[in-house]
Amino acid sequence: MRALAAAAIGLAAALAIVLTMTAIGAPSGETSPKPLLTTVPKHP
Amino acid sequence: MRRRASLVLLAFAVFFAALAPLLRWYAYPRLAKIPPSEYQTAVLEAGPATLLDYGTMRPRKVSKVTIVQTLRGNVPAAEKAGKATGRDVVVWDALSYMAGPDGKMVSKIPERYVFDAHSQDPVHAGGEHVDGDAVRRDGIEFKWPFLTEKRDYRYFDAQTRTSAPIHYKGTQTFRGLKVYYFEQTIPWTKVPLPKTMPVKGVTPETVRKAGTSRWYSTKRMFWVEPTTGAPVNGQEIHREELRGGTLLGDRDRVTVFSGHVKMREDFIRHTVDMVKSQRQLVLLLTAYLPWGFLILGMALLALALLLEARGRAARPPSAPAEPTPLSVAGRSV
Repeated sequence: MRALAAAAIGLAAALAIVLTMTAIGAPSGETSPKPLLTTVPKHP
Repeated sequence: MRRRASLVLLAFAVFFAALAPLLRWYAYPRLAKIPPSEYQTAVLEAGPATLLDYGTMRPRKVSKVTIVQTLRGNVPAAEKAGKATGRDVVVWDALSYMAGPDGKMVSKIPERYVFDAHSQDPVHAGGEHVDGDAVRRDGIEFKWPFLTEKRDYRYFDAQTRTSAPIHYKGTQTFRGLKVYYFEQTIPWTKVPLPKTMPVKGVTPETVRKAGTSRWYSTKRMFWVEPTTGAPVNGQEIHREELRGGTLLGDRDRVTVFSGHVKMREDFIRHTVDMVKSQRQLVLLLTAYLPWGFLILGMALLALALLLEARGRAARPPSAPAEPTPLSVAGRSV
């Protein structure tokens, strides 16, 4: 019984971490203020 | 004590063993995506090339033609399209700017590409265009999906405004990276004239009225790093002609542009370096962490079972229970 409880705790923790990670996701950021270029850049 | 330790180890074993598939098949498809605020430039050159001199309407050889391609993620437009479609959407506003050897504009084609941030499939949420003409893509453009497969894809051609197969032609090594080589050939096709012409006074309307049309053909080559789906090199053997009408005098066609367009060396180096680092992030979620966690989980499970077995072996066999004297009201009977 205690072994089952330990396994359940491990599984729940893994699910919690993955669900939190995916729910937070990555920030969108903002549109770059840099222009669409009409001159040839010297370097990348 | 051993029993408690084996239970803790078991909990960690299940934690890591469960994390492995969850990361690979649940987290990875949701976390691996193109950020909506991406900004990228690429410079391509064709040298020597043939370019039409609009003054004399005769093609001439030039030392170099440069194409500057800029991609800029439009975050507000992506959020709007995301809300409308319920998907994670990226909107790229792009400009392909071609300059002659004197730096003057040869052509300028803006476009908007709306696509799914995870799969790179086109999303039709309105606003897609090439040079102001509304388009409906059914193929990828600029980038392949993460974990690119060894198969043909449909690739959007901005000049013809249509999608056509781009063929997987084999695996190669490019600057130390394993890449998939793709090739697409667009046969001679009548295409729209650019809205912005390189000479003042000449508009698409005046060219059309003269009965002249623009034709184009290209062989497009991409070397794609398959983990990220990012092209690390691109080339085009590009040809454009004006055909028919009174503008060309007694000729039935003139070359507008002809050249072998290649990515500039410093941009290739920059792209390869960037892709090499991005590749590690994708591999972390698809291979390194899932396999590492699975192996760790199995090792911890083995350790937990070993501890439990030793704990049981060390425990003294339980003695037969002695008859307990009955006690009635605190007195032994």
